[in-house]
Amino acid sequence: MKPDIQKTRNIGISAHIDAGKTTLTERILFYCQRIHAIHDVKGKDGVGATMDFMELEKERGITIASAATYCTWKNHEINIIDTPGHVDFTIEVERSLRVLDGGILVLCSVGGVQSQSITVDRQMARYKVPAVAFINKCDRSGADPFRVIRQLRDKLSHNAIAVQVPIGLEANFDGVVDLVTMKALYFDGDSGETIREGEIPADLMDMVEERREELIDAASMYSDDLMEQALEGEVTPEVLMEAIRLGTLERGITPVFMGSAYKNKGVQPLLDGVTKYLPNPADVTNTAVDLENNEEPVDLVTDSSKPLTALAFKLEDGRYGQLTYIRVYQGSVSKGDTIVNARTGKKVKVGRVARMHADQMEDLERLEAGTIGALFGVDCASGDTFCSPDITYSMTSMHVPEPVISLAIVPEDNKAQINMSKALNRFTKEDPTFRTKVDPETSETIISGMGELHLEVYVERMRREYSAAVTTGNPQVAYRETITQMSEFNYTHKKQTGGSGQYGRVAGFVDPVPGEDFVFESKIVGGAIPTQYIPAVEKGFQSCMEKGALLGFPITGVKIVINDGQSHSVDSSEMAFSAAARGAFREVYNRCKPAILEPIMKVEVETPPEFQGAVMGLLNQRRGIILGTQEQDTLCFVEAEVPLAEMFGYSTVLRSSTQGKAQFTMEFASYRKAPQSVADDLIEKAAKEKKDKTKVA
Amino acid sequence: MKNPLRLIGGEAGHILPKGGFGAVLARAGVGKTAVLVQIALDSLLRETNVLHISLDQPVSKVCLWYEEVFNHVGKHYQLNNTVDLWDAILPHRFIMTFNTEGFSIPRLEERITDLTEQGIFYPQVVLVDGLSFDQEVRELLNEMKLVARENELKVWFAVRIHREDISEEKPVPDNFTNVADLFDAALQLSPQGPQVMVNPIKTPGELDESISLYLDPASLLIKDGQPGE
Repeated sequence: MKPDIQKTRNIGISAHIDAGKTTLTERILFYCQRIHAIHDVKGKDGVGATMDFMELEKERGITIASAATYCTWKNHEINIIDTPGHVDFTIEVERSLRVLDGGILVLCSVGGVQSQSITVDRQMARYKVPAVAFINKCDRSGADPFRVIRQLRDKLSHNAIAVQVPIGLEANFDGVVDLVTMKALYFDGDSGETIREGEIPADLMDMVEERREELIDAASMYSDDLMEQALEGEVTPEVLMEAIRLGTLERGITPVFMGSAYKNKGVQPLLDGVTKYLPNPADVTNTAVDLENNEEPVDLVTDSSKPLTALAFKLEDGRYGQLTYIRVYQGSVSKGDTIVNARTGKKVKVGRVARMHADQMEDLERLEAGTIGALFGVDCASGDTFCSPDITYSMTSMHVPEPVISLAIVPEDNKAQINMSKALNRFTKEDPTFRTKVDPETSETIISGMGELHLEVYVERMRREYSAAVTTGNPQVAYRETITQMSEFNYTHKKQTGGSGQYGRVAGFVDPVPGEDFVFESKIVGGAIPTQYIPAVEKGFQSCMEKGALLGFPITGVKIVINDGQSHSVDSSEMAFSAAARGAFREVYNRCKPAILEPIMKVEVETPPEFQGAVMGLLNQRRGIILGTQEQDTLCFVEAEVPLAEMFGYSTVLRSSTQGKAQFTMEFASYRKAPQSVADDLIEKAAKEKKDKTKVA
Repeated sequence: MKNPLRLIGGEAGHILPKGGFGAVLARAGVGKTAVLVQIALDSLLRETNVLHISLDQPVSKVCLWYEEVFNHVGKHYQLNNTVDLWDAILPHRFIMTFNTEGFSIPRLEERITDLTEQGIFYPQVVLVDGLSFDQEVRELLNEMKLVARENELKVWFAVRIHREDISEEKPVPDNFTNVADLFDAALQLSPQGPQVMVNPIKTPGELDESISLYLDPASLLIKDGQPGE
């Protein structure tokens, strides 16, 4: 059956870790009759929540990979991507947001807007994803949904407007009052599946009136009809709903729902909100670039009869073979179609088309425009675009941060070695922030990623899913080298003693260029270096950027200008000029006063005010620059920039210094020059390691 | 930095004496924060520690102001080592934000003690942005004066004024005149058509009448001369 695009929703559920989003997803699937029983996240009943299908996720109670699933609610088809909450996995969040039309921002009614919510929200803003908010855990002691609404406004600059008010709070939380229909809603039955409508409790009437007025005020900005009705004092639910919808689509309003997923309260009205307020695929304008027309932007139309444009946003090498999750923006894809990978130009025949429900699969004939599904056996990378053979569109590339931390892993035996290779192959395809390489000197396999936990999880998955027993080394920070001053070079590479000779002279200067990796410029005039050798000179210099002389880390921020040189009619060759460039760089590098750059992390610590001094002291001890402190209600936020090298083991120390009451998030901010004393220590350590290695060899 | 603010008094731009108060007066949205940030950058570039207290903006927004103004300064004065310069000034800046209702001098003193006792940060210049002068502030300012004298701080305040409180006969509003005796320097930002003039209404030394300052509307940087020159 062809889905009605007006009744399709592609949504993500984003939140701070532990805000309860997996529990919420579980309830959504239950009420949509995709599952027939509810299981706890932490797997007390041994089953675990449906969306967290990886063993490790069940154990840790966190969601790592974003599992896609779909369900139907009141004739609407809802595709849900369950997104991870930890900052180390933000690439997953980003990829999900790229393909979604709307989001549910889940917040804890006690914890409120926490630092990770801010990161997730920033990502939602980057992809202009309209959202509704769900304030969860209203049954918890200390619940205060209106404080969370204030935080949404103050900290995240959302125009957060309650569309419900709670009936009781904490242990007395009974249900919600819907401010649009002005009805009290209670959730009866063992799993809250029966909704009972009632009169609004008299003691809540004043608050309800006041909040409804606020809602009408905010929504009337988006609808003249509502404005008129409001002036006449007769607001109909239909007009109010439509105004809220328009405001939400523009990201001008964030409707706020309330409930307790764990206690089975308030989930169905949230689902109604998703269908009423969040956009359908046709409400959202998506653009691609036309590769054959100078990368001109093209608006895509959510119409299945148009040529196909689909984005592969996630790969999984699971029990059904290689699975490629795609979002179809325009056109459709059916079993047996031939489609083209816009990046490689390769034609692909579509074998099977399916949609996923967590780790279970349902075969389909066709995926229509605006929907999310999966293809089988298609060779591609995450982020590739698939098109019909007659067009060459590409969806804009996704922002992929560079890894900042590495770890050496050593397989324990031959079998582990084979399994480890398989695992790494899969992980690198799935996650572009996870990289792997072999150190040519030690022959060790090095994995790199976005944080300690990121790598830890992959090592654990290697052990569990691939039975690859590996031992790990200490985490290594991904330093960089750079130069700090300009210097000239004039180098002759000359080997003319017997046999065919080698001759090449290059001259010019090296200049720091912050913000760039490598810039090469040729100012050669009069053929001092013949044109055909100039690419070899560039290649020679570029090869030197791979490994700096100080620590052996890549060199960045270098501009090379060549302005003179000399060649020999017989002995000059590409090889000779490339060698001359390498020689020139080796010679000039030390004169350019090389320096070490270290990754700096943006760290935000959330703490009760009484520990503010201790938290700042800890950051200060770790060479952190405290940018500022922010006092908000009963919490204090300390923002700092701290070198990654100093952050190992920070969580343990923070916990013990704050009686476990503080928590932190960190993400990569920039590379910054390491202080001289630190650089000296690093250089000394690197020299010692090199010496030890030579001894062993 | 050739900051034209230095032209309005004090040797080499150290406009305020230790323990002194300065004020930047303007209507909402005219550029008070931009001027405060320029005063801060002027100090930071001389390796003077600046504590920026904001009562209405989160840390991230205050940081953005600094980045924005610093980028404009870098472009205007064609500085070519902005990355190093930025890295060098960052440790000299500390931003504190409070809820308006949560701000009090004892609380501020407590926070400053947190910083100084652990050797994290010793403020020398303090900027207070977002304090309402519409209510009675003399008592708070008196308390602040004691803290400033004790810690040898130079304190700049952003003072929000209202269109209806000023006229040609009374260019300085009462909410500031009432406490003006506590201040050593004050600059008023006055929109004149599309331009914003910077009028020194109180200076610690002699006012040089020949100097004219304005806010460049594009960059919000203070420049000397007449707009358009």
